[in-house]
Amino acid sequence: MSLPTRSSILKNKLTRTVIRVVIATGISSVITQLVTIREFLTQFSGNEFTISLILFSWLIISGGGTLLAGFCQNVRHTASIRLLLILSVLLVCLSPVQILSIRLLRDVVFTHGTDTGFYPTFAFIFFTVTPYALLIGFVLPFSLFVIRTNHSGYSGTRMYITDAIGDVAGGALFSFALVYLVTPFQAVFLANLPLLVFSYMLRDSKSKRHPLFILPFLLSFFILFSCMLLERKTLLPAEGKLVHYQESRYGRISVHQDGEQFTLFKDGIPVFSNQNLSLAEEIVHYPLAQIPHPERILVISAEGGIMDEIEKYKPKSVDLVELDPELTPILFTYGLIKNIEGLNVIHTDARIFLKKTDATYDAILINIPEPETYQLNRYFTVQFFADVKNHLSKAGIVSFSVEGFDNYLAEPQREKLSSLYATVKPQFNNVLLIPGQRVFFLCSDNPLTAAIPGSLDQKNIETRYIKGFFSGNITQQRMEYVNSQIDSQAPVNTDVSPRLMRIMFSQWFKKFSTSPHIFAILLIVFLVIYILRTTKEAFVLFSTGWMTMGCETLVIFAFQIFFGYIYFQIGLIVTVFLAGLLPGAFFGEKLKGKGKWLLGGIDILLIVLMAVFIIAVRYWSSYLNEISFLVFGFMISLLCGFQFPIALYLERNRPSAVTRIFSSDLMGASLGTLVTSVVCIPFVGIVNTAIILVIFKIISLIVAFTIHENH
Amino acid sequence: MKTINRRQFLYLSAAIASTALPLRPSPIRSHSCLAMGSQDIRGKIFKGDAPKTLWKWSKEGFSYKKLPDKKVVCGICPNRCLLSPGDRSVCRSKVNMDGTLYSLTYGNPCSVNVDPIEKKPLYHFKPRSNAFSIAAAGCNFRCLNCQNWEISQAKPEELNNVELFPADVVNSAVHSGSKSIAYTYSEAITFFEYMIDTARIARQNHIFNLLISNGYINTSPLLELCKVLDAANINLKSYEDAIYRKLNGGRLQPVLNTLKTLHEQGVHFEITTLVVPGYIDNVDMIKQMCGWILENVGPDHPLHFTRFTPQYKLNRLPPTPVSTLAQFRNLAVKEGIHYVYVGNFPLHEGANTYCHHCHKLLIERQGYDIPVYNINGNRCKFCNTVIPGKW
Repeated sequence: MSLPTRSSILKNKLTRTVIRVVIATGISSVITQLVTIREFLTQFSGNEFTISLILFSWLIISGGGTLLAGFCQNVRHTASIRLLLILSVLLVCLSPVQILSIRLLRDVVFTHGTDTGFYPTFAFIFFTVTPYALLIGFVLPFSLFVIRTNHSGYSGTRMYITDAIGDVAGGALFSFALVYLVTPFQAVFLANLPLLVFSYMLRDSKSKRHPLFILPFLLSFFILFSCMLLERKTLLPAEGKLVHYQESRYGRISVHQDGEQFTLFKDGIPVFSNQNLSLAEEIVHYPLAQIPHPERILVISAEGGIMDEIEKYKPKSVDLVELDPELTPILFTYGLIKNIEGLNVIHTDARIFLKKTDATYDAILINIPEPETYQLNRYFTVQFFADVKNHLSKAGIVSFSVEGFDNYLAEPQREKLSSLYATVKPQFNNVLLIPGQRVFFLCSDNPLTAAIPGSLDQKNIETRYIKGFFSGNITQQRMEYVNSQIDSQAPVNTDVSPRLMRIMFSQWFKKFSTSPHIFAILLIVFLVIYILRTTKEAFVLFSTGWMTMGCETLVIFAFQIFFGYIYFQIGLIVTVFLAGLLPGAFFGEKLKGKGKWLLGGIDILLIVLMAVFIIAVRYWSSYLNEISFLVFGFMISLLCGFQFPIALYLERNRPSAVTRIFSSDLMGASLGTLVTSVVCIPFVGIVNTAIILVIFKIISLIVAFTIHENH
Repeated sequence: MKTINRRQFLYLSAAIASTALPLRPSPIRSHSCLAMGSQDIRGKIFKGDAPKTLWKWSKEGFSYKKLPDKKVVCGICPNRCLLSPGDRSVCRSKVNMDGTLYSLTYGNPCSVNVDPIEKKPLYHFKPRSNAFSIAAAGCNFRCLNCQNWEISQAKPEELNNVELFPADVVNSAVHSGSKSIAYTYSEAITFFEYMIDTARIARQNHIFNLLISNGYINTSPLLELCKVLDAANINLKSYEDAIYRKLNGGRLQPVLNTLKTLHEQGVHFEITTLVVPGYIDNVDMIKQMCGWILENVGPDHPLHFTRFTPQYKLNRLPPTPVSTLAQFRNLAVKEGIHYVYVGNFPLHEGANTYCHHCHKLLIERQGYDIPVYNINGNRCKFCNTVIPGKW
């Protein structure tokens, strides 16, 4: 049977409309996914575990939906335009409902104001994304089956490409436009309008005449629209009132007022308060009390009330580096930081700033949250502290802090302090730990003293907290205790091996008295069963899906290490990864006749590419530029996209094969995300993670060459 | 084109109206945090979790009852853990070993410090003195905002403990120049055997004994403890049983019973209430709480309203506004409690002591420093009124 040509297909109006629906579904699904991730990060701990769990759940449930579509088609030929229409409209409704349910159920399921542990978070994510993700996984192959009712030879690859076009468009639209311009529900509204319109065009002549036909479309529109009106209402705090709400590209910012107190929440966590005097005093005076006349001060990320304290030293200049340009105006507006004389606000990634500036400082005060994400870990590494040291005057001082302890230093916390100490100590002659509300690290080449109140008295600096509480809270005994617990030989934290992240994960699990072991065992059992039951072609695609997401994680992480965290460029990397699939699948379709040899050849190319990545990161890192990462990402995804049509071809494009191949890709991607993010990189570092991906691909290569072709 | 019938019209209208429902102007969220999430987080017994053998720091339980089948029921706290052989108590520090209840923390504290007594907080007991402070692993509560969760929610064998038997504690306290020993940080009631033996020796050595506790203890062991107890700070976490169950994993009534018992036994005690936004910032509840205090233990036991800051699992709430603390302080004073303080906020005038009779400044507190002290013996320097406490 000869395959239908492109023009003959497009002549068919119905097919054309289904293709439009698929593209619109791609746009809707990617934007819904991105909005969902942001919503979860606001409602739960924003560590890599949470991010990975969201992607894992989403991809694996979508994979399940895809398999279900194949099953339904095999058992009962269910594919029909009418059902596709119903499913598409349902998707439109589920998209805002999913976001709404995350917001509203958070406090129904969990105690208001609490953090949640691994398993409850996972369960919540899994169940809230299941309806939408299952349906989205179902709809793609289902659309293919619908087209095949008219064009039996329509290939799965074309459907794959069509979906990818929607994904790329959705990803780019959100990353480069919507995130800057609209709120989450507005984004969902805009993302789903095309799907609603194209779904409407799926109507048949019989439906057109029925007066109730319009009802589901009206309902969907009303749901989309009314959710936009609920945007602020669903964010109302249980305490105080919401006085400011803003979505920045880096997350959600809200300011709550309770009496005279303003508290700024970033992604649901209270990070600034105009009444946190004691912490502001500790952050400023512990380091500045150590040097005679701090004239040039660099502050990397602020803390509420910090400028009032700095002002007491009358410095000539204060450079404040904040990543999020939306944040500082809000801080000034609500009096969370004061605009003092000599203050210069710089909106960029602090590591980029340090790389580019020639300035030197008498004091560098670092106020970065705990290193629980790749982005944050970069501010606690050997490389970062070396950069910091390069910008310090001879008698200058650097200070940073991590979560404190009250009366006992628990094991993960002790490991964290030890690793940090070992990381920073080689850069400075003296490192002093002060166990305040947080544990402060003071680092300088000059001698340091813990007699802070005395130093402040000499400088005539007035304080409230330090004056009254220092002597009782930071006793000699406590100082000796914390210092005696430090293991100076602990492994250091580096850019390419984020040891602190692993410790942070342990701390998170300890806090909730739980462990990831049960999850890991279940995952391994699932993996083994899946691999044993799947076909060789599907396994190759599974490994490719794994590799794509693994590489994407690696590239984003490596990019941040070398060039800093710039939202636009990270968005570009993700878009490039999606975009590479398109030409890959296109050329794969053209050359699929070469069968398993091409499949294996692509595997070899992937391995070579990863080897180049390993060598480049390890030995040529100083020669790497932004473009090289984008090219690498594009090449990886191009090769991954290439394999898809070949695997389909080898499976003879049967409905069950199509869904198996689609789902293999999704399942591989889900596991690749999870394992790479939370196991491989934190435990073995970036280079070894790349090696693991190579080994995995070598196994896939061997499997590829054992495939028996039946064509 | 078809026309729609009446039923179809009704369905259509209902469907459109239902989508417009969320547009109503009332707020979506209930402002009562109590209705949300798990309603009871009380701890559970750890079945079969006892160590294989006892260790050096094990001591038979002070108060327990032997039951058939070698089961035991612990009598120290209202949890009244019913343990089969091999089981571990809710507080994690007691186990049933072959029909006998053992404490695992005897002479084995995990934290030892010398603190100013004002840090406990105890404002009316030997001000400007130090308290030798010890804690062992375990707690009979599960507070979501525990600031010592690393030790309170841990088993003794999971921590790095130090060996310090009762006599050694007293010697160390004397050596450190402390006037008192505070049983504090985690939950002293869970290391009752260690505490009471230490307290008895301390009493013989003229060292005061301070209980810093959630007050979740049965009357009988408390009466025994009162014989050697000099002062206490009891955390009255809320005046609503539902909040106790939801945020702390305990019950209210036993804590109230403890306050009454301490009062009846003449033990000086102060009460601390952490004002958690959204949960314990209800004016009516505070009013009722003050009413109970006045009716049952009188106006002379100092009451501390302390500021909440995000801690442990309860880390997505804002800190308490200082004005709320000041408001509660004024309210409690107005209700008739003589000494009400604001805590966890530096240099607030609510940390000072004013004579309840002449309202003059008796003690000015700048953190743990006391630059102004106008009490002669136990009387106001200005009007000679007796100021409750031990000075």
